[in-house]
Amino acid sequence: MQLHFTKDVLPDSVGTDFQNLNKLNEQQFHRLIEILFQFLLEPKETERFMQQLTEFAGEHGMSAGPLRNLMKSVLLVPQGALKKNLTGEQIKEDLLTLGLSEEKSAHFSLQWAEHYAALTRLAVGQTLMVNQLVDMEWKFGVTVGTSEIQKLGTVFLQLKLVVRKGNSTENVYMELTLPQFYNFLHEMERAKASMECFS
Amino acid sequence: MSIGAVSSQTTNDAADVILFALHFPCGILLSRDLSQSHVNMAATVCNEDFTNLQLLLKAPSKDAVREVCVQSQRGLSQRLTESTAATLGISEAQAAQLVQSLHALSHYVLFYNLSSPEQILAIFPESFHSSLKNLITKILLENSATWRTEALSNQISLPQLKDLDWRVDMVTSSDSVSRMSVPTCLVQLKMVDPCSSADSESVSSVTVELSRESLDTILDGLGRIRDQLSVVAGK
Repeated sequence: MQLHFTKDVLPDSVGTDFQNLNKLNEQQFHRLIEILFQFLLEPKETERFMQQLTEFAGEHGMSAGPLRNLMKSVLLVPQGALKKNLTGEQIKEDLLTLGLSEEKSAHFSLQWAEHYAALTRLAVGQTLMVNQLVDMEWKFGVTVGTSEIQKLGTVFLQLKLVVRKGNSTENVYMELTLPQFYNFLHEMERAKASMECFS
Repeated sequence: MSIGAVSSQTTNDAADVILFALHFPCGILLSRDLSQSHVNMAATVCNEDFTNLQLLLKAPSKDAVREVCVQSQRGLSQRLTESTAATLGISEAQAAQLVQSLHALSHYVLFYNLSSPEQILAIFPESFHSSLKNLITKILLENSATWRTEALSNQISLPQLKDLDWRVDMVTSSDSVSRMSVPTCLVQLKMVDPCSSADSESVSSVTVELSRESLDTILDGLGRIRDQLSVVAGK
């Protein structure tokens, strides 16, 4: 079997699962695909996904367990397609190869095209970021005096950077003088200009 | 004791200071700990200090006086005590007291930002040796600006940003998407903690990755700071 979305050899159960999908009527299939894409767009909502499948199974006189396994097989397609940046046409071809009916494959591919932008944004967003800057807080003011000098009027700027390190965050505190602040601003503007050059 | 007269004043008018100095004993004990450089909690110069200062009359030259004054601004040290005792031909104990009194005086001048000869001359008691008074005043005025800059750079602070480097990458692939074209920015900030001991300034550095949105948000914040700064500067 030549498939676009994966180079791996799929277990036989996958073929069986797709054939079982053909047994669903149009309305049932549409609803199931709706649940599927909802999950793809919010991959953290696994509990909700499971619950919706259980409800669906109940409504249509199916057992929840087999339905969940079926969906696991179905999930392989969009997940692989995302990694490989497949088009709607390519996905449709793959579904047909897997044994899904023409009608259902067309519907799936249509849904795919509709949600493609949002799904790729999500995948890109999951890309590894090292020491990601999560938040920046700042305050600035005037130093009015010190133990050495009674009256002062120098400007200070304090920054707090919140950096994600693994699962936790780390706070980094620093102080800048005015010239350093203007240099920081200037450098960040240059970095932004550089980023915009390449977008 | 003229407590009432002094406590009602909020200015550091020289006349009131003399009142303060003459009517209150030197209550603050100068620490004998040789490693402590900032010995005075409050900036006061008392009678005892002026007595000690007159030891400078034993100096062989004006330059010798200048040398002791400048060195003592940094505080007491064994080396300084020894060299001062040798130069002036006085005991080490006397030299230590002289250095501390000089330190109190320079600290006082720096704290209240006395910038004119009249202001400094007014601190000295009437009976103080006239030419020595003028010489010390001259030396203090000469060095005030440098000492002020030094004090400013030594003041307590959070770790200071010393260096900033950045680079922009184009991410073309990842484990979740095989083909993409997403810019990302890496920024390295090097910070120095000025509060650690002078010999080993601890340099720490942090490298953060910023998405385009994060960078825009940062620039937004920095822009607001800049705007507020120009409002303050305009006033």
